[in-house]
Amino acid sequence: MTTSLPPTTAIIRAPHSSIDAAPSPWKVVVRVASTVWSNGKARIGLVMLAVFILLAVFAPLIAPYGARETGFERSADGSAAHWLGTTAAGEDVLSQLLYGAQISIFVGLIAGLLSTIIAVLIGLSWGYVRGFGADVINFIVNLFLVIPGLPLMIVIAAYLSGGGIGMIIIVVVITGWAWGARVLRSQTQSLRSRDFVTAAVFSGERPFRIVFREILPNMTSLIVGNFFGAATAAILAEAGLEFLGLGDSTVVSWGTMLFWAQNSNALLTGQWALLFAPGLCIALLATSLTLINFGVDGISNPRLREGTKR
Amino acid sequence: MTPAPFTQTPPAPNSTLLEVHDLSVHYGYGAGATKAVQNVSFRLAHGEFVGLVGESGSGKSTLGFALTGLSKPPAHIEKGRILFGGKDIASLDAEQLREQRHGGIAMVLQSGMNALNPVRSIRNHFVDIFRAHGHVERSRWTARATELIGKVELTPSVLDRFPGELSGGMRQRVSIALALSLEPELMVFDEPTTALDVLVQHAVMNTIIELQKSENFTAILISHDLGIVLESAQRVMVMHEGRIVEDAPARQILQNPQADYTRMLLSHYADPRAEVVELPGFADRQQRRAEGAARADGATHAPTVSPRTRRTDQHTMIVDNVSKIYPAPRRGEAPVRAVDNVSFTLEPGAALALVGASGSGKSTIAKLITAVEKPTSGSIRFGDLDVGKLNRRHFRRLHRDVQMVFQDPYSALNPLHTVEYALTRPVINFTGLTGTDARRRVLELLDIVGLNPVEEFAAKLPHQLSGGQRQRVVIARALASDPQVIIADEPVSMLDVSLRAGVLALLEDLREQWGVSLLYITHDLLSARVVTDNIMVLNGGAVVERGNTADVLRNPTDDYTIRLLDAIPNPRKVVA
Repeated sequence: MTTSLPPTTAIIRAPHSSIDAAPSPWKVVVRVASTVWSNGKARIGLVMLAVFILLAVFAPLIAPYGARETGFERSADGSAAHWLGTTAAGEDVLSQLLYGAQISIFVGLIAGLLSTIIAVLIGLSWGYVRGFGADVINFIVNLFLVIPGLPLMIVIAAYLSGGGIGMIIIVVVITGWAWGARVLRSQTQSLRSRDFVTAAVFSGERPFRIVFREILPNMTSLIVGNFFGAATAAILAEAGLEFLGLGDSTVVSWGTMLFWAQNSNALLTGQWALLFAPGLCIALLATSLTLINFGVDGISNPRLREGTKR
Repeated sequence: MTPAPFTQTPPAPNSTLLEVHDLSVHYGYGAGATKAVQNVSFRLAHGEFVGLVGESGSGKSTLGFALTGLSKPPAHIEKGRILFGGKDIASLDAEQLREQRHGGIAMVLQSGMNALNPVRSIRNHFVDIFRAHGHVERSRWTARATELIGKVELTPSVLDRFPGELSGGMRQRVSIALALSLEPELMVFDEPTTALDVLVQHAVMNTIIELQKSENFTAILISHDLGIVLESAQRVMVMHEGRIVEDAPARQILQNPQADYTRMLLSHYADPRAEVVELPGFADRQQRRAEGAARADGATHAPTVSPRTRRTDQHTMIVDNVSKIYPAPRRGEAPVRAVDNVSFTLEPGAALALVGASGSGKSTIAKLITAVEKPTSGSIRFGDLDVGKLNRRHFRRLHRDVQMVFQDPYSALNPLHTVEYALTRPVINFTGLTGTDARRRVLELLDIVGLNPVEEFAAKLPHQLSGGQRQRVVIARALASDPQVIIADEPVSMLDVSLRAGVLALLEDLREQWGVSLLYITHDLLSARVVTDNIMVLNGGAVVERGNTADVLRNPTDDYTIRLLDAIPNPRKVVA
């Protein structure tokens, strides 16, 4: 260093402890959460999601019986002992519903998270690189986009049959990341021409850091939105695959409940709760995530946020 | 000019059109509210052309928005009345406000050129307004639109073009024509020419002045540029910190300014052709530095920067016969020759001005020198680096010594990172300092650029800073690597007059004390005169004139240079 430190009162005044204080990642999380919470629709969605998660986590405590506990009266209607009746195999429907929430939420969140991570990694680097590399990625992403999703899912699931939940997550991730990658790529391309990105090049930043520290934070709302969208799709896909019998049908989840209900012709025997209860739960869970997405918009625009508070 | 088909009874001249009474506009409520406009009262007569001058943050735009009923939350009228033709505007609801826009108040915005919908033709913009207000019969739509577009000196063929096909100046003219289409009695121009190129700016301003005379509307011209306002308005109101500090005829403001603030603004104008150019801050350095520190926080001392120990390896930037040709924008068109056989050298510690209107290739030269773009032919050498063929991987070697100050301080800082982060990164990347040392260097940089108290500024996010403060952060970031060459691309064009002097003096200081060479890219000839030794005037990518700055500006030989000089708004011209 060639300049001497000017004897600034400000520096002497500085409390020494604050010297290394960098903005902590927790502050960002809190900020994001409070932004989402300030939106009315998102608040409803968050409350619904919280209820589902609590029910799933505490299912062993809340559920009146075990999920695979048989031996009750078969195909019974709702009663004080079995609020939603029993299945054709003599299991308690309410207990199955509560335990099933665990699988649906787990698959939704994990598959949503994984496909978002892949979308972010591929979308951002794809948006930042130019030339031959971008063309290669373009080809691969287009490949995944043009193949019809459901048949691909069924084919992969049939090929990997017997893999259980892990298999379902893999199938959902493989078929679900490409759209998000394309959306994130176009946003990256528009951000990369901003002056602050050029300025980061002048600051000596490596491309990796430019992409993930300069560009990525400006896309938080897109990424969070993408996550909730992917999680919703994952929950629906998981239920769909299991309903078709492509999952492990011995696991209790909302999808397998529908599968067995369909197998035992529940509607013909008048046991509507068998189909209706898990169906409604899937719909409500997907709705809650969609509602949360309404609150995500304000995250990466501080000015927008200040404007809404008044 | 054909008479407007909707002639209203001509109002008696000098009758009051608009009366603002003890108006205060606040952002937010309670003790934390920002008082943007405070106790403003004034009166406008029919047919007057009034200028409203102030720097950013003075509340002039807030006042303009309040007058037109366009205030958006959290801005709200705290107290006072705005009587337009006897009616209080603040009491109108949205629908009444919409109706009064016909024959009432119209506004032309600074970003009016972006206010046009890119997927609708110009004709449709007019039709939308005609339809919304129903004041023009359907059969006359085309005739009326043609007439309006003629008033702003555009040809009727513009009606079938889309906004993207028009230049910035043409788009701003269209915005003015759109505002005129409602036959307003009062036009509010909010910085109508700020975003335009100097030569275009001059032409658009002339159109506005002539329109005001021929259409006889009452006009308020809001601008930060006292020069433009004095050239066009009959009466000038000077606004400072939410109050009107002076309200007088233009001539009187110029010859006998009363308020200190007005005098300060006037002192920043000079003729770049004059024998001796003195600007505040460039006349007496010692005093300026004291003022600079006082402005930043009121109490702390002036920064003391020790002269840099003499570098042993100062390099010269040698640009030799460089051309840059971009491929044709559309098939069948000729390729764009952005830079055409330009050569120059930049010695250590020298300051060179690159002057030209937009599109003259000056920013492309900046990109070539910083290796952001590669030259089509010719070579650029800096020390042992061949800049023209530099690989991306070696950017750090170049950017350690060659840094850039961007034109727009609003987009040059990542909105989500604090000032400290923005400065810490280059410090870590180029100097190898870490932790506490790096932070100390960051605070030192902030002190050098006059952002005191440094601790407070380090923690701020860009949107909490003013334009001038942001530009200082951008300069501090450029200084972080202790560079030899700084390329300043219109560093002050987005800043207020009083801040300009500060930023320019800062650049000048860096050059004198640290031996930094400066490539100063600008269209502002006055600042080029005070900051640089040598000048190059570019037109269409080629150098049309070069030499000692003072010599070239005082005895310009090229026609283009003369036109540039003539387009500069200068208050003194009003008297002359």
